[in-house]
Amino acid sequence: MGKGMAMGKNVVIIGAGAGGASVAAEARRGDPSLSISMIEQRSAVSVAA
Amino acid sequence: MPYYIGDVIKDEKRLIARTPEKFRETGIDVRIDARVEEVDSRAGAVRLADGTSLPYDVLVLGTGTTPLMPGIPGEDREGVFTLKKLDDAVRIKARLREVPCRKALIVGAGFIGMEMAEALRNLGIETSILHRGELPVNRWDPEFGKVILEELRIHQVEFVTGTETKAVAEGKSHGLSLATNHGDVEADLILMAVGVRPDAVLASQMGLPLGKTGAIQVNFSQMTPREGVYAVGDCAESFHRVSGRWVNIPLGDIANKQGRVAGRNIGGKAMVFPGIVGAQSFKVFDLEAAATGLDEREAALAGFHPASALIWGNAIAGSMPSNTKLGLKLIADRATGKLLGAQAVGRVGAVSRINTLSAALWAGMTLDDVGWLDLAYAPPVGPAWDPIHVAAQTLQRKL
Repeated sequence: MGKGMAMGKNVVIIGAGAGGASVAAEARRGDPSLSISMIEQRSAVSVAA
Repeated sequence: MPYYIGDVIKDEKRLIARTPEKFRETGIDVRIDARVEEVDSRAGAVRLADGTSLPYDVLVLGTGTTPLMPGIPGEDREGVFTLKKLDDAVRIKARLREVPCRKALIVGAGFIGMEMAEALRNLGIETSILHRGELPVNRWDPEFGKVILEELRIHQVEFVTGTETKAVAEGKSHGLSLATNHGDVEADLILMAVGVRPDAVLASQMGLPLGKTGAIQVNFSQMTPREGVYAVGDCAESFHRVSGRWVNIPLGDIANKQGRVAGRNIGGKAMVFPGIVGAQSFKVFDLEAAATGLDEREAALAGFHPASALIWGNAIAGSMPSNTKLGLKLIADRATGKLLGAQAVGRVGAVSRINTLSAALWAGMTLDDVGWLDLAYAPPVGPAWDPIHVAAQTLQRKL
C-alpha cells in the first residue's frame, strides 16, 4: 500500500448505525492500512431509517 | 421503518444500507450482537461483555439514542414496543402477523407517532394516539397542529388529549389494557413514542463532557475534548448555524454527515462538519409537514428579537384545478431582518419550500433577500408570487 513500515492504527467504532457505519466506510476509503472494528449490540447494522 | 411496518416497503433488507458482509469484504471487523461492557481509557481498550478486549488508538462513539419510556408498571409487557432500531420494526411487524391485531395505541404525538398512525391505519388497524398535550407535533405552530390533527381525524385516527398513562396490564377483549387518567383503554399493541434521549452512558463513564442537551460535546472535526476519541450521530451535538449554539437533533441525515467527517479525519484528511440549520419533515397521510431553523421560543433564547407571520398561499398556481393551500410561517429577527426559521404544512409543496428556506438560512439571508428570490415558476408547480415571497414580504411589513 506504499505505507512503508507504518503499521495501521487500531480504530474501534462503537455503534453501527448511520453514524458509525459512515465512519467505518469513510475511514477505510481514506486509509486502507487502518485496522477497523465496529461493534453493534443489535443484530443489524447501517440502517436507512 | 414505519413504512416497512405499514407494508409500503415489503422487505426489511431494503432498509439496510450495507450488510455486515459488505463491511467485512473491505476488511472491517464487524461484530453484531456484541455489547460493550466498558471503555478503559487509560489502557486504551474496549472490553466486550464476552470478555474480549479490543485495543484502540482511535475510538468512535456512535451509540445513538435510547427511547424514553413513561416509567409505568407493566410497560415491559409483551406487545408494548418502542421504535428506534430495525429490530424493533421487525418485532412489531412479526407481532402484527402473529397476533390478530385489531386495535393499537400510540403514546406520544411526535414524528414517530404520526408516521406510525398512518402505517397502522393503512393495515386496517383501529388506531388511537394518546397525547399529553392538546395538539400533535408541538414543534409546529398551533394553527398547523390543528391542520395535522384534522388530517388524523379524516383518516379515523382517534386523538386523545391531556392523557397521562398509569399502567399496562392484561386486557379482556384485547391482549393489553392501558390505564390512563381518562380510564382504561384496551389494545392489541401499544407503541411508546414519547421521545428519545442521547445514549451517552459510555461517554459519561469515560468522563467525557456532555452538553446541556445531554449529548456528547464535539468540535467541528467530530472529536470530543479527548484526543483520538470521536462521537457521531444521535449521541453527539451539532452546531446550529442560526442560533450559534450546540444542539442535539437525532436525525439519520445528520448522522451520515458527521460519520463521513469523522471517518475522513481518521482516514488522514482534514474535514469539518459545517453544522445544521434544523431542517426536518414528516408525512402523515396526504399531508406534508416541514420545519427549519428556530421557532420563536428558540430564537428568543438565542438572543434574537423574533417576529413572525403565518400565511396561507397557493401550493401551485391558483388557476390550476389541482391547486391546494399551503401554510407557511416565517420567523425573523426584528433588529436585523434576518430570517431565523420557517414552518410549512400542505398536501404538496411544503417540503420543497422548507428546503429552499433552509438554503436561505444556511446563507444567512434577510427577509429582503428571501422576498425577491428567483424561484422556478410554472403554473403546475408554483404560483408566480410563491408563498415564500408572500410570507417574506408580509413579515417584512410587520417588522
